Amino acid sequence: MPSYTAFLKRDCETCQAVVPVLAELRARGHALTLHVQDDPGFYAALDPRDDTALEHSFRAGIETVPTLMSEDGKRVEGWNRAAWEALTGESGLGAELRLVQPGCGSKTREPFVHEALAATFGPPVLASRGVTLGDYDDDAEACYDRGWSDGLPVVPPTDARILRMLGGTERRPDEIVGTIPPNLAPCTVEKVAINAVMAGCRPEYMPVLLAALEAALDPVFTLHGLTCSTCFSAPVIVVNGPIARRIGMNSGANALGHGNRANATIGRALNLIVRNVGGAIPGQIDQATLGGPHKVGFCFAEAEDDPTWQPLAQARGVAPGRSAVTLFQGEGIQGVIDWKSRTAEELARSLALSLLAVGHWKLCEFFNAILVLSPEHHAIFRDAGWGRAEVEAALREALRRPGRDVVAGAGGVGEGMPAARAAEMIDKFWPEGLLVVRAGGAAGLYSAICAGWTGGRFRAESRPVTREIEA
Amino acid sequence: MTVTLRDPTAEISGALRRRVPPPTSLLGVTVALLDIGKMRGDEFIDRLEALLAERGIATRRFRKPTNTRTAPVETLQEIATTCGAAVIALSDCGSCTSCSTHDLNDLDRRGIPGVSVITETFVEPFAAQCRAIGFDGASVVVAHPVQNRTTAELHAMAEVALPRILAALGVAAAH
Repeated sequence: MPSYTAFLKRDCETCQAVVPVLAELRARGHALTLHVQDDPGFYAALDPRDDTALEHSFRAGIETVPTLMSEDGKRVEGWNRAAWEALTGESGLGAELRLVQPGCGSKTREPFVHEALAATFGPPVLASRGVTLGDYDDDAEACYDRGWSDGLPVVPPTDARILRMLGGTERRPDEIVGTIPPNLAPCTVEKVAINAVMAGCRPEYMPVLLAALEAALDPVFTLHGLTCSTCFSAPVIVVNGPIARRIGMNSGANALGHGNRANATIGRALNLIVRNVGGAIPGQIDQATLGGPHKVGFCFAEAEDDPTWQPLAQARGVAPGRSAVTLFQGEGIQGVIDWKSRTAEELARSLALSLLAVGHWKLCEFFNAILVLSPEHHAIFRDAGWGRAEVEAALREALRRPGRDVVAGAGGVGEGMPAARAAEMIDKFWPEGLLVVRAGGAAGLYSAICAGWTGGRFRAESRPVTREIEA
Repeated sequence: MTVTLRDPTAEISGALRRRVPPPTSLLGVTVALLDIGKMRGDEFIDRLEALLAERGIATRRFRKPTNTRTAPVETLQEIATTCGAAVIALSDCGSCTSCSTHDLNDLDRRGIPGVSVITETFVEPFAAQCRAIGFDGASVVVAHPVQNRTTAELHAMAEVALPRILAALGVAAAH
């Protein structure tokens, strides 16, 4: 007679209901092995195997209990008289049962369980060096001890967590995403996942993080210089498109602040990758004079709830309905408060006054910048019939100044533009150098400026990068 | 339960965190001499203190209440705020080696490069403790045992160890 294996748990009515059927199969001479996931004692009369460690259930890939499986791997899930009879070649099974009774989920598929089992019983997937701690070691302290932290606690990267994180992408763990400066060390998807775990990401953030990393590694983003620079800057990530809502990013109140897991951890994960894989240790190769809190991570989503406003990604060539990241070399924000401007023209001139201070009031064509318009400030433009193009044009006009005012020495200030440009009208930013984004809570006549990096003076060599998210 | 973590780095260096680089010179740097509180260590340190003074190197003595625990936080804070390097001595037992390695690591995380003086019997325990906390600590090894030596012998041990202690603190042999 052929032999069969059945997987059961006590906490399942259907499993309990098929007990007489299993006993009947045994009585008719079938060899039957039972694996019980929760309480083997409950099925003691059937002489079951204890599978509370779930190894057999995991190895058999059980999704549902009861599952009846034949030697050649054919299986029936739940109770289905016709299917059980077809599999066993018997008739008259379970006459007292309904024809069909669905089973329950296998314990191997409960939250967090599958990856823990994969880490224990599955084939080796992870190639990174294992660091085994002592029985009394504190795993959070161990991460600090090894220099893996940006100063805040990290989630200890265990195999189960890393495997779960890798579930957030279809890319292979051993695929190399790129080489990370400053050490120009190759970075696999697995290393991305490890650092994502440590940063506190959820697996569903992986497509955004991978896109952000790839954008940061575009040569024109100049991550190497940005990372080692004495300047303040670090990667700033703006997320556009449907993925921002899907993963619960914040584009509303406190969008540039704290309190949202995706905003906080995606930006942090990118910086941890640069630190841990790239080797950018502050005070060593990262030579920032002052740095800033944005160097922990700065990531937010644009508010796309006003159809009159063209999102940044679309302005930079991404098709509507697609998701994208824009990576900017920036620093923490300067708030702009204007409670009194009532017309679009007034407000544009007002915002320009503050934008002139980016980097230095007398340095032009030197820095890029992001201007984050709050919904209330944006509404003043919108109500005047202005869209992105009109806002950008008005800002550009208001940000153009006589060279004599900004050359070195003018106004008794040593810093400034070369004297040869005194007779020109000079733009504060390159034409493409000011990125206008809409975000923030419903109330507040405020906007925010995220100043760029000195590398921005090399117009062709160092630019923000937009990249579509593969999701 | 044993926990295994995966290395998030590029693995182009060892699994241990490198110690903070020692200064290129000890001129103008006060060296902390941390007595771990084990008997006889003070005699070794007495001689070391004199030898450093002969070389114009400023030192400051500290003493742990017991070698069987890590140093009090106040002591470590005081060293980190007043000194630029540290010598920790003299570990000749298991508990001293483990605790003084933690002290070495703690000072290193506060930016103070140090070296732990241990006896030859505790080379592997020192390495094991370093591995466990992921720290590439520096040590100078002296003869074992210590407890049955004369004072003159302990002073001689300090004289033999001095060049290696200075080297571990970044000073070239000719100093």
